Amino acid sequence: MTTSTPRPAGRWSALLGAHLADTRRYLLSGVSYAIPFVACGGILIAAAIAFVPMTPAGPDFSGAPFWKLVLDIGTVAFSLLVPVLAGYIAFGIADRPGLVAGFVGGAIANQVGAGFLGGIVAGLLAGFVVFWIKKLPVPRYLRPVMPILVIPVISSLAVGFLMFAVIGAPIKDAMASLSAWLAVMSTGNRIVLAVVLGSMIAFDMGGPVNKVAFFFGAAMIKEGNFAIMGACAAAICIPPLGLGLATVLGRRLWSEEERDAGWAALAMGMIGITEGAIPFAAADPVRVIPTIMAGSAVGSVIAMLGGVGDHAPHGGPIVLPVVDNRLAYLVAIAAGCLVVALAINALRRFAAGRAAREA
Amino acid sequence: MRIVAVTACPTGIAHTYMAAAQLEKAARRLGHEIKVETQGAMGIENQLSASDIAQADLVVLAAGIAVRERERFAGKRIVEVPVQDAIKDPDRVLSASGA
Repeated sequence: MTTSTPRPAGRWSALLGAHLADTRRYLLSGVSYAIPFVACGGILIAAAIAFVPMTPAGPDFSGAPFWKLVLDIGTVAFSLLVPVLAGYIAFGIADRPGLVAGFVGGAIANQVGAGFLGGIVAGLLAGFVVFWIKKLPVPRYLRPVMPILVIPVISSLAVGFLMFAVIGAPIKDAMASLSAWLAVMSTGNRIVLAVVLGSMIAFDMGGPVNKVAFFFGAAMIKEGNFAIMGACAAAICIPPLGLGLATVLGRRLWSEEERDAGWAALAMGMIGITEGAIPFAAADPVRVIPTIMAGSAVGSVIAMLGGVGDHAPHGGPIVLPVVDNRLAYLVAIAAGCLVVALAINALRRFAAGRAAREA
Repeated sequence: MRIVAVTACPTGIAHTYMAAAQLEKAARRLGHEIKVETQGAMGIENQLSASDIAQADLVVLAAGIAVRERERFAGKRIVEVPVQDAIKDPDRVLSASGA
């Protein structure tokens, strides 16, 4: 019989401390399960959008029921990304009993629009909550019901409450004030505005901050101002294209799994799905997120200065037919991607060198 | 003889642990050393270390579901039985395995 002997309180906090230091490993365990979902959903969505005409109203599926179906399947696979990421981050920390709270927390992150960063928070929360509950001394006769009943119920309640009340509600307020702030910004210096838009688009790759910038650009199209969406459209594709390019340029710096994710990211970038960059950002947020923000900002500024206008509420090279000043648009994307690819590979080379020296 | 074993059942709350206890008892009775890893609803407990596995003469997998991290046992002599057999007649599981 395997018995986990109850430990005194001092050991728990020491164990938890060790866990916090291991956060990167937990993120990677979540990412490794999430990558196939991103790849599957992204490729299906990319294929569907690529095979229908691009119009000023976005991709037009009215004459292509088959591609609409492919799009819908891809969208479902994609929507599982955040729950799977959160679920398996929790799994990495607390093993099987962590799965329920992780998946529930991740699904709530989807629902409240907290994006993949919300999913990471949910996964870590769920993992630590369950890890802690598992350490509680429990009478022998209760032990069988702990992992299938008590732990899932208590941990889902705790994580769900935190995700809805503490994370979900403020996100709504923050999005509203960000939108208002952008509206004010848009009357000022357009280069500063482009830097802000590009950074926001890249920051959480389809999460709330990204959506604020995107919806702002889309709303401006209706006002007859195509330049805002033009700056967003370039920024949208730069994180996945730039990171995909990085895996091609610096093969040795990336694992085989990451190189596969790189090809999927390139495909998603081509049709304007920023989420293709998420596997990279979730695995190494501290290096990747600032890098892609810089790259997207560069792309947005060049697009703004080059007079790029985008008539469709969509981004990436796929919208080229409905873009004004196409050459400037392509230059903006290429420049942003180069910034991302060169910077992230330099950072990784530096980190690898430092690790080698320390070893 | 040194034995390592993994037990796992679909629900992971009772049979996994019963099989583990039975295998431990039987091994002791027959004079073998055994370490049993359980893969139940709590996840992996009493995990087999690399050296446990390296030193083992025999690997017994008593499972009703796929055993996690099975690649650890590559190259070892592996005997697979239904988890029920390990509960009902652990002695026979071990002796039929050549232990």
